[in-house]
Amino acid sequence: MAITFRRLLWAAALTCVVAPGLAVAQPIKVGIVGPFSGPFAHYGTLFKAGAEAYIESQGGKLAGRPIELIYRDTGGPNPGQTKSLVQELIVKDKVDYLGGFVFTPNAFAAAPLAQQSQTPMVVFNAATSAITDKSEYIIRTSYTLWQVTVPLAQWAAKNNIRKVVTAVTDYGPGIDAETAWKSEFTKQGGTVVESIRMPIATTDFAPFIQRIKASGAQAVYTFLPGGPPNLGFVKAYNDNGLAKAGIQFLGTAETDEFDLQKFGDAALGLTTAFHYSGAHDSPANRKFVEALKKKDPNAVANYASVGAWDGMVVIHRMIEATGGTRDGLKAVAAARTLQWESPRGPVRIDPKTRHIVQNVYLRKVEKIGGQLVNKEVQNFGPQVDFGLDK
Amino acid sequence: MNTAPRVAPPWRLPAIVAAAGIAAWFALPDQLGLLTRLFTTALLVLSLDLVVGVAGLATLGQAALFGTGAYAAGIFALRVMPDPLVGLAIGVAAGACVALASGAFLLRYRGFTLLMLTVAVAQILYSLASKARDWTGGDDGLSGFSPGPLLGRFAFDLEGRTAALYALTVLVLGLYVARRVVDSPFGLAVRGIHENRARMAALGTPVFTRLLAMYTLSGALAGAAGALSAQTNAIVGLDSLGFAVSAEALVMLVLGGVGRLSGAVIGAAVFTWLHHTAASINPYHWLFVIGGALMVVVLMPPAKVWAWLKSRKAAS
Amino acid sequence: MAVLANLLVDGLAYGMVLFVIAVGLSITLGLMRFVNLAHGAFAMIGGYVTALLAREALWNFWLALTAALVLTGLLGALLEALVLRHLYRRSELEQVLFTIGLAFFLIATTNALAGPQVQLIPLPPELAGSVDLGFRTLPAQRLLVLGAGLLVAAGAAYTVTRTRFGVWLRAAVDHPDAASALGIPIRRVQCASFAAGAALAGLGGVLGAELMPLEPYYALKYLVLVLVVVAVGGMGSIAGSLVAAVALGLVETASKYFASQWGSLFFFAAMALLLAWRPNGLLKR
Repeated sequence: MAITFRRLLWAAALTCVVAPGLAVAQPIKVGIVGPFSGPFAHYGTLFKAGAEAYIESQGGKLAGRPIELIYRDTGGPNPGQTKSLVQELIVKDKVDYLGGFVFTPNAFAAAPLAQQSQTPMVVFNAATSAITDKSEYIIRTSYTLWQVTVPLAQWAAKNNIRKVVTAVTDYGPGIDAETAWKSEFTKQGGTVVESIRMPIATTDFAPFIQRIKASGAQAVYTFLPGGPPNLGFVKAYNDNGLAKAGIQFLGTAETDEFDLQKFGDAALGLTTAFHYSGAHDSPANRKFVEALKKKDPNAVANYASVGAWDGMVVIHRMIEATGGTRDGLKAVAAARTLQWESPRGPVRIDPKTRHIVQNVYLRKVEKIGGQLVNKEVQNFGPQVDFGLDK
Repeated sequence: MNTAPRVAPPWRLPAIVAAAGIAAWFALPDQLGLLTRLFTTALLVLSLDLVVGVAGLATLGQAALFGTGAYAAGIFALRVMPDPLVGLAIGVAAGACVALASGAFLLRYRGFTLLMLTVAVAQILYSLASKARDWTGGDDGLSGFSPGPLLGRFAFDLEGRTAALYALTVLVLGLYVARRVVDSPFGLAVRGIHENRARMAALGTPVFTRLLAMYTLSGALAGAAGALSAQTNAIVGLDSLGFAVSAEALVMLVLGGVGRLSGAVIGAAVFTWLHHTAASINPYHWLFVIGGALMVVVLMPPAKVWAWLKSRKAAS
Repeated sequence: MAVLANLLVDGLAYGMVLFVIAVGLSITLGLMRFVNLAHGAFAMIGGYVTALLAREALWNFWLALTAALVLTGLLGALLEALVLRHLYRRSELEQVLFTIGLAFFLIATTNALAGPQVQLIPLPPELAGSVDLGFRTLPAQRLLVLGAGLLVAAGAAYTVTRTRFGVWLRAAVDHPDAASALGIPIRRVQCASFAAGAALAGLGGVLGAELMPLEPYYALKYLVLVLVVVAVGGMGSIAGSLVAAVALGLVETASKYFASQWGSLFFFAAMALLLAWRPNGLLKR
């Protein structure tokens, strides 16, 4: 009841205001939930850099209102703690919007709270398709495995690759990736000769590389969570002679700009399909990279920082649409119709799934100016979230 | 190590905790989620105190019992019925059963071997839960359920008022049960086994049976904590069975004081509060704080510091 | 047949890394009955120092490695002499908790000094390539690991059985009071063994850097694996650690080849079975 009374007060106050310059300077509060400590802390740092860089690029205010970003640390996948943090953000800090979310169980934990409190929740990263189904207030600006895998499978089939072995990390997004690949690749007439699941704690990938070699496939489709496993797998791929044996590497997020330079020349030529490359050639991307570097010189332009940037774009538009008031339904309704030029290319929000529809690119790792980059060699065009759009 | 039978009435500690809990409930209406988490964690640490403090068995596998209770309650709520009290009973039963089954194997060992075996049991359960995606949701977590109204009347609200009082009540009850058991002849026998196993055996005490009984009780309380966690969060993550839960519970217990039951509540409260505050300031440097605190507490145990302060006061 | 050969090669290599890191902890546990959960931190420090010297200061890999070992050994000796030896008489639990606290502290320090990202060790060209064994291609670095592991095992066995220090060590483990009554400098033996264990852990950290990437959480992340090796092999037994490490390495590798959807289940099940069968260690009675 208090909420409705407050809303009436706000509405009254705003109607009394004549000149826009007299608008109240109450900051809009956005709670950003992510890992700021532990092995995934770089996600948190990149979210912070991306979000704050966007706000600064808009002159420090969004829709004329100052923004207060409240950061909360979830550590790793920790749904119990996430729920408690989000609850506090909603009840105590009274945030208008929620953002962030790297891990699926954390997003699942927050969903009922977003629903109950009618708080729009913008997911900057967590990539399991089912997340946006958990609440009608969830909007996602990252990607899903289905979204980036389906076009890759189609490309592989068109390029005479008939036999593929999948090797994914044994957890939600990995299994999504495997299912997506199998479904699309077999639809295109290819065969998945073996499906390898790699435990999430794996550090020694040599046995899996041997299995890939023994499978007789022409290519390996892989998905790994970011960080040390990616590094370990790519190194094992090269060191154990897979590259030499001519088994093509087909991946998605494995050549993430965050760790890319560490691969060294071993990464040259690796083929991936993904929605964002730091080397994307567009004015919007150049603006993004510049703003990011200005905000935090150590920040890397990758899918995490661009996810945060675009997440803030959505929040910006939602603030505009609601006139700065707290109206979850109106905000989400407005978000469903959004389209804009993102650093990754032209994007829009799918009104049905509330997930971002974006171009997926085929990239190969190349060395340009002494730095390794993901060079976009083909544009698959706009892709929806096939995981939900069946 | 205080070995004399306690003369304090068994309801004193639970009453103090109940009063403090209710006061906190009134004082912090915006942070009831944190409070609920604190109560649930305190119950887990209490269960650990029974094993580590009273029975003297060092374990790093308490998460096995906590997680079992959590998943049991969660699966029950998802597939059978959402009534929280029945779910709580299921969690208690599940925790106790796993404790009984694993204890029958584990308690034959001692010292470092026992410690490592508890880790093994917990990790095996973790692997099984991770594999059984259809039942547990795997690493996505078990979600899609929400607890029904407590006693048919009190719904679980967004602010967490019902959840906090529910967790507090279960904690207080758990404390009372623990207090009664520890002060009973059975509890005394277990303490005796901790002090000197050979002597107790020579006295004719069935050592193994006593330890197993205490371990099972501990499992019941840990299962209750797990069920509370599942119900108040409406989600169960694989991390409930993880090593970090066991290790953190042990750290909290040591910080608060081992063996006195009140230490469990104090340690849980201090750790949770510290973590919450330090994490909002700077999450990574939290490790400095907790690492330093642990080292200080071991080098200068609170009990000794307290005694030293008392002796200084008496001397002056 | 090829699978078996692959399994042996990969399993042995993995096991050797575990052995080199674990052997120091096993000695410390057996000798001082001191549970040092900060042992993983020594492995991490050894790796970090090598990585930073070789990559940032552009030292020669072998020089950097030697410097790292010396430094880690010194750090171990310092820690032992100043702080840890006061905890020898404390309960197991207190030792566990103090050293966990120390490990947390070292993790936070590493993160503050070097940042959270993975540290790569630039290998010298003779090690960076791959070796074609005919039935498979193996990274040359794995051969180094195998060789180093065998050397460490041989060296440790020799030291313990044939040198005077080894005699002192064994006496101090079996009967500390009698040994000190006989004039054996127990404190020096303890300090030296601890330092050696730390240096070996550092070596393990460098050797294992391909398998276990160096990042601040390293100190605790792989600790469980090392503890398992020590528990199964038996505290204080070098041969036991070797057998345990190789056995567990083979089990883990086999599970990756044949049943990877089950995760580490077989590793821990094997560990539980071995421990239950031989609670005091594989080679002890």
